[in-house]
Amino acid sequence: MIELSHLTKVYGGIAVVNDVNMTIEAGTLTVIVGTSGSGKSTLLRMVNRLIEPTKGSVFIEGRDVSMLPAYELRRSIGYAIQNHGLFPHWTVARNIATVPMLLGWDRKKVDARVEELMELFQLDHEQFAGRYPHELSGGQQQRVGVARAMAAKPALLLMDEPFGALDPIIRAKAQADLKAIQRRTGTTILLVTHDMAEAVHLGDRIAVMDAGHLKQYAPAADILARPADAFVDDLIGTVDRPFHYLTLGTVGSAVEPGEADGAPLNADASLYEGLGALLWSGRKTAPVVDAAGAPLGRVSLDTIADRAARPQ
Amino acid sequence: MIRDMIRPGNLLRLAVFGALLAFLLAPDRFAGLLAPLTSNGAPPIYHQSSLIDLTLSHLFTVAVSTLAAAVVAIGLAIFVTRPAGAEFLALSRAVVNIGQTFPPVAVLALSVPAMGFGEAPTRMALFLYGLLPIFENTLVGLSTLPPAVMETASAMGMTGRQRLLKVELPLAMPLILEGLRLSAVIGLATATIGSTVAAKGLGEVIVAGLLSGNLAFIVQGGVITGVLAVLLSDGFQAVARYAAKKGGARPQTGA
Repeated sequence: MIELSHLTKVYGGIAVVNDVNMTIEAGTLTVIVGTSGSGKSTLLRMVNRLIEPTKGSVFIEGRDVSMLPAYELRRSIGYAIQNHGLFPHWTVARNIATVPMLLGWDRKKVDARVEELMELFQLDHEQFAGRYPHELSGGQQQRVGVARAMAAKPALLLMDEPFGALDPIIRAKAQADLKAIQRRTGTTILLVTHDMAEAVHLGDRIAVMDAGHLKQYAPAADILARPADAFVDDLIGTVDRPFHYLTLGTVGSAVEPGEADGAPLNADASLYEGLGALLWSGRKTAPVVDAAGAPLGRVSLDTIADRAARPQ
Repeated sequence: MIRDMIRPGNLLRLAVFGALLAFLLAPDRFAGLLAPLTSNGAPPIYHQSSLIDLTLSHLFTVAVSTLAAAVVAIGLAIFVTRPAGAEFLALSRAVVNIGQTFPPVAVLALSVPAMGFGEAPTRMALFLYGLLPIFENTLVGLSTLPPAVMETASAMGMTGRQRLLKVELPLAMPLILEGLRLSAVIGLATATIGSTVAAKGLGEVIVAGLLSGNLAFIVQGGVITGVLAVLLSDGFQAVARYAAKKGGARPQTGA
């Protein structure tokens, strides 16, 4: 559990982070969303003390982070950023091994961990271990950056716009991978983004920041249904709101008995994907199957439309 | 590896080095070549000291002073790029610049009374003259590192010292080597003036030629120095290329 208590950072008389209080449950993925200059990155950097707060404290598992030497604290917290910050003079394997080496793990254990992570992030060990960062594509660099951040099995991972430099297709894949890896490892993740769609898609809870203030901190569905103020409302975007809402539910949750024609939809696809498939194929209903391909019933345009409406 | 070594550029380097070595080991064989530059039956080859001894002592003087300049200049550049030393940046720049603007001849003239004749004043002059290129290059190398890389180095939990040794210096190495190259090459040429205060070096041959009006002496002293400078410069560039290649292409800052 991470607790931010009255966290404040003042630069030149202006509070870029202003009295933020937040509790982040262990094992969750929390997204901090806001426009540029909202203080979201400053907030993130105060957790591992890249920036020292002017006032307030950060507690991880009840311990004040300012009690530890900064370098020791940082070795226990993963960190990944938009421009990945890979060390250009080190190979992929050496980059991933950074924190384990700093912690003095023995060689065998480090090598085994590097191999394990490269497999987790779908980087062929034989092919990529000896390459230098500039010999990788943007998507591969990003994966190495996240693998490096997770190398020493940190309980907490901080990410600042980790997918910002990726093209949309690779980005969607990277988001899905991160979510899967997070579920598997149980790592607590604190991720900063300016993209509301990304926040809704990834976040168990979303924190909305504006001008240094924490405007709203709630599960995605609550933020969409009951934005705290005009700013949050704006950030969601009036036009996009129903569609954001649909990304939260699965086709499986809207199944009704009955039959339908045409290509079936997967039960674990999002309602948003279901809507797209129905609209594009010009159907009013589609059959739904589970992961094994067994029929579950059907889903209709009307049901999906109901689910996109503002909850009463 | 073998194929790398027989590229035309390397063959040329090898040929030049071979020719230089042949001349230094047996200069008399080349007497016929230099004879047309002499008049009145003056000797075409300098024989007061052995050319190879002069060359080695010339190189040694340059090596010692460049090394000393490197230690001081790199140390200073590291110090002023740390938070604790930042306020000394302007001062260090001024001091190092004075070292460069003060003519080596003047340094010789001033240091002979204090240090006596011989190698010491020459080393002093070359040391002062060599500080600036190394300092400035190291400074640029250390202060233009990609911010994302620097931030993650800290965020991974490197201490200041680890960051310097594992990340900053290796990434700045191509520029530092370039500074060393400049200093060494300038030093090699400048060291010839040391002979005016009785330092052993190739300047001795040139000065002897000037005093006796023997063009052959001037040419052999000048050409040996020149060829050494080219080979040295070339060698440094090869090492710098290797360092840059090993370090991967240095990413542009920003973006």
